[in-house]
Amino acid sequence: MDHVTDAAGERALVERCRSGDEGAFQELVDRYKDLVFALIARTVQDRSQAEDFAQEVFLRVHRGLPYFRGEARLSTWIYRIVANVCLQDQSRAKRTVSLDAVDRDGSRSFTPSTRDRQFGDLELRDRLEKAIARLPPNYRLLIAAHYLQGVQYEDLAEALDLPLGTVKTQLHRAKQQLRRLLDTELK
Amino acid sequence: MYCDEALDAVEAVAAGEVTPDGRLADHYATCPDCSTALASARELERLLHARPAPKPSTQFTARTMTRVRRARWKSEQVLDVGFNVAIAVVVLAVAAGVWMLVDRTGVTSVSSEALDMIGRSLVAFAQRVAPSLPVYAGATALLVTALGIWWWAERDASF
Repeated sequence: MDHVTDAAGERALVERCRSGDEGAFQELVDRYKDLVFALIARTVQDRSQAEDFAQEVFLRVHRGLPYFRGEARLSTWIYRIVANVCLQDQSRAKRTVSLDAVDRDGSRSFTPSTRDRQFGDLELRDRLEKAIARLPPNYRLLIAAHYLQGVQYEDLAEALDLPLGTVKTQLHRAKQQLRRLLDTELK
Repeated sequence: MYCDEALDAVEAVAAGEVTPDGRLADHYATCPDCSTALASARELERLLHARPAPKPSTQFTARTMTRVRRARWKSEQVLDVGFNVAIAVVVLAVAAGVWMLVDRTGVTSVSSEALDMIGRSLVAFAQRVAPSLPVYAGATALLVTALGIWWWAERDASF
């Protein structure tokens, strides 16, 4: 029922935006900004660039609304735009993440031991971000999107124009690669 | 069994998408390599779920709306310029058409007298207007200022 109400609300919002209602577009930005920004910030890992890209996404949404036929859900269409903006950027400039800062004393294992959990988590998160930055752009986007609340496998599959099974397989491969990086190169 | 099989399933088991059956569960319990892999996959899963979601700045919506308005204004400007150019082309085409028509009908041969008359009228008009030139200049300046204010206001106008 909620899903139906959401879909109806979404359609009404799109119609208001199309009729040139500025308040409606502002509502759309407010509704999706957290998700769009988090997804981009987790993929590009540069806050100012992430904000610029997120604005670019909403500009494209605004330009594209007159042509949005409503065959897909609005959120799915927005994810597709996010994916295009992120992947276009990745193909323009390959990210180079310095690994010099990574500890190389060899004593740190991926699974936390007896050391203080909070400190261990911070350290692990840092290593995790570095490992994610080394993934191929499409894997990075999948990891970013899948672990954000509200982004379903189905939405991802539709947004990336991939079969559901492929999305799951790629996600598993991305995680395998992450584990390998954390267990070996980023140890 | 079957480390390959167990290792292939590690991600799905750690994500809770697959529940290991008896055979697989036994293998994870007894094989040190697969058990370590499963532990690290579970740890990775926990970290990925705990990964903070960055929030946009409080000014994000306002900045986005400003960019949207600017983009809209620019696209409207392009439309305006295109429209004006189209009108100018039409006017030129009509003028050229009229000229060709006049030329073919031979009216131009008698038009030199008419041109002289128009010239004399223009000179007389200029002589009459010359004393009031400062007033006209002031009016023009006012008009230009008004147009400037209108342009500035239109630039930040909403949808």
